[in-house]
Amino acid sequence: MQLSRLLARVLAPLALAAGALLGSPARADTYEVKLPPELSSSPRLCSYAPCQEVMPGATQFSERKGQPPYVEAYREENGQARLMGYVMLSTDITDIPAYSGKPVVTLIGMDTQGRFTGVKILKHSEPILLLGIPEAALVRFNDQYLGKFVGDNIEIGKSRPAENLIGLDAITGATVTVIAQNQVMMTSGSAVARQVGILKPVVRPAASFPPPAGPLPDWAALVAEGSVQHLRVRPEDVGLKGEGHPYMELWFGYLNQPTVGQAILGPEGYASLMGRLKEDEHALFIIRTDGMDSFKGSGFVRGGIYDRIQVRQDKDSYTFRDLDYINLWGIQAAGAPAYQESGIFIIRSHKGFSGAYPWKLVFLGNRIDKESGAKTFANFDQEYWLPAQRLVGGRPEVIRPDPTWLKVWKERALEVAAFVLFLATVAGVYAQRDRLVRRASHRNKWAVNGFKYSAWLISIGLVGFGAMAQPSITQVLTWFHSLLFQWQWALFLSDPLIFVFWIFIILSVFIWGRGLFCGWLCPFGSLSELLFKLGRALGLKRFQFLLPAPLHHRLKYLKYGIFGGLLAVSFFSMGLAEQLAEVEPFKTTFLVGLFQRSGPYTLFATGLLGLSLLTERPFCKYLCPLGAALAMPTTFRWFGLRRKDECTRCKACAKGCGSQAIDPKGNIDARECMLCLDCMVLYYDDHACPPLAQERKRRTKAGEALTPIDARGYFIPIHPAAPRTDTSTTPGAPR
Amino acid sequence: MTLADRQEIRQPPYHRRQGLARLQAEALDHLWPWRSGSTQHRGFQRISLALAALASLAWALAAFGLLPPGAIIGSWFGWSLLEIAIRYAHKPYVKEGPWWGHLYRRASLMDLVCYVGFKNLLIGAALFLALRGLGAVVV
Ligand code: SF4
Ligand code: SF4
Repeated sequence: MQLSRLLARVLAPLALAAGALLGSPARADTYEVKLPPELSSSPRLCSYAPCQEVMPGATQFSERKGQPPYVEAYREENGQARLMGYVMLSTDITDIPAYSGKPVVTLIGMDTQGRFTGVKILKHSEPILLLGIPEAALVRFNDQYLGKFVGDNIEIGKSRPAENLIGLDAITGATVTVIAQNQVMMTSGSAVARQVGILKPVVRPAASFPPPAGPLPDWAALVAEGSVQHLRVRPEDVGLKGEGHPYMELWFGYLNQPTVGQAILGPEGYASLMGRLKEDEHALFIIRTDGMDSFKGSGFVRGGIYDRIQVRQDKDSYTFRDLDYINLWGIQAAGAPAYQESGIFIIRSHKGFSGAYPWKLVFLGNRIDKESGAKTFANFDQEYWLPAQRLVGGRPEVIRPDPTWLKVWKERALEVAAFVLFLATVAGVYAQRDRLVRRASHRNKWAVNGFKYSAWLISIGLVGFGAMAQPSITQVLTWFHSLLFQWQWALFLSDPLIFVFWIFIILSVFIWGRGLFCGWLCPFGSLSELLFKLGRALGLKRFQFLLPAPLHHRLKYLKYGIFGGLLAVSFFSMGLAEQLAEVEPFKTTFLVGLFQRSGPYTLFATGLLGLSLLTERPFCKYLCPLGAALAMPTTFRWFGLRRKDECTRCKACAKGCGSQAIDPKGNIDARECMLCLDCMVLYYDDHACPPLAQERKRRTKAGEALTPIDARGYFIPIHPAAPRTDTSTTPGAPR
Repeated sequence: MTLADRQEIRQPPYHRRQGLARLQAEALDHLWPWRSGSTQHRGFQRISLALAALASLAWALAAFGLLPPGAIIGSWFGWSLLEIAIRYAHKPYVKEGPWWGHLYRRASLMDLVCYVGFKNLLIGAALFLALRGLGAVVV
């Protein structure tokens, strides 16, 4: 009792420390800062962004130019302005989101040789960098780009000189963020480097087309064979309300191909167009059949550039100026839809474009953030590849690069395979629990604990500290939001171990309950219980205690409150919810390191671990929002443990249950049970389970045989077969 | 809950039905929290029916694009709280063990929080995504 008072005393300051820690987070510099709207719209980018910091030594900057935009940086030398390089804002060029689903707004400097000169984060929304990992880590990560050439093959991970691959060190625990950041850096850098001629376009073999044979195809046939493609942008994709119309509905096709060109323009129109094109120039048509806006925009009126459409072929992009535009007077193909806007656009020569290879029409839109009204850049594209029959010799072979997530999976294939094997083994062992518990006894539980302790050690050492694959409530919140707002498989797949772990967790929660994850596999939970066992082995047993049942049964609901609170807050501010999720000491323990963080975090995590020496899993029982999130669906787990009628009167199992999951009537609360199997060992142990022991003694005294114990936990037969009507629906039945 | 105490078993009226009839009864049970023919808590029953109609109206308004996402989520959450209270009064049982099994037990308040929370999360997410797909809800 005194010890429970002690616990209350220890918990109170801990709660305060957690509160202080949550209430006054050490805000990082650029987390969700409000950037001036002119930053993304003004021609004078460098009046609103610290361009000099990414281009040291520059004294003058031009206005935004090009598509995608960049600025030129100059230095005064002998009264003359010398071009030093280029500065670009990542969100002018790409909308690749980071872990938070929002892009990291980055200012990038690159010299005239294509080497990065500076990288500065202007804004990010990554909660992990706010609290878990210092923002300085991202700055250090970005510094790795300095001096590197934009055309190099730069990836996260180890360098592989044989494959010409330059590796960058990731930020431990923020892999997804840095993978996205690397894509942002390389996409932005190479887009500008290609425009200014640092990176030469890839020269692709020119296409050769068969002459038209037979009647020209109609519109439907062109669409069916893929010679005409369709790009549709929904209003909700750009943050607008749909009123029965798409935001943009475009149809487009490649006109140099004679069959396609003649079908669209008619033979004379095609001949006239080809007469106007120089060698190695390419024409495509675009029509807008529906939509709420113009695909031409107004940029071409002001600056002569069509700033809403672009063609991309692999990494080369092609924009159109007013001189690249020709009127499209009509479509000859029968069955063509009516349209409101149209045009023929020319890709000029010597740019490496080839009609034989796939390319994309990109619509460069803006997404309007409903909360702030701010516009963010959003790309929509559709691939186009002439069908094989429209090319002499068919389509050339194209090796497409793996998506980033797939590269990560391939790189970590062994690790993933070992982890899957580990999880499958644990599940397999647990599935054999009835056999294992019969091999163990109340005094010697090694037949079960040998497996469990091995799982703990692997979880703590390899999964937690090694691979940092500790699942967290922030993932639940992120998934929940992604499900409702924008699901991105690529984002979740980019951390393979966490992905695999979650698949396993979801399945095992529905099959057996949260206990298999919490009791056997959670790195923090395992560490916590291991410390408790260690405390016992080290002679702390007399100080070890459980909270009094009434207090325990009240306090256990706290974790559900924390989970519910986090979920509710996440609807208003995901960032705040993720800050509050610091109630989980996981980042401190596994991701950052117990003593790498500021005092309150270290105090909180070490306090909880220290307390674990004295009482079993205090965090799991009372505070863990992830445990709560998993406990709720555990209500509907398929297969529970066993109980017999005598359990209602006997308290032996309940006394031994460190999770305090067995009620006075002998029922097991699956939400609180860690599936430690202690009670199941007892259940079959005829020296420990009181009704069994009693029967054993009676039979021994009476000289009756000790028959084996059946699945329901009785000697066979303990009494004449009881009239059990439906064994599959009664307690104690095999499950 | 893994039952030792048989007093905890609460079979619903339809527990002996088999096949399609049983599936229908279970589906209805998930969607209709009131016990038919119940004369208990009449006032509460009427008010809750009215509020259920309001929650349905909220989805209908959302389908016509007349309700912002926050309001839909808020109203569905509000209804879920009420549904817990209704079930606690009218159908205080949950299934125990496999979903294809036929064993039900007495539901504690926490059981119903978990049950309604989980069920309505699935229903709400499905409806919300459908409305998003149709363009009626913009986020
Ligand atoms: S309750 Fe939380 S910390 Fe404990 S084992 Fe479960 S998830 Fe891990
Ligand atoms: S003793 Fe039994 S009820 Fe308690 S946690 Fe272990 S398995 Fe669950």
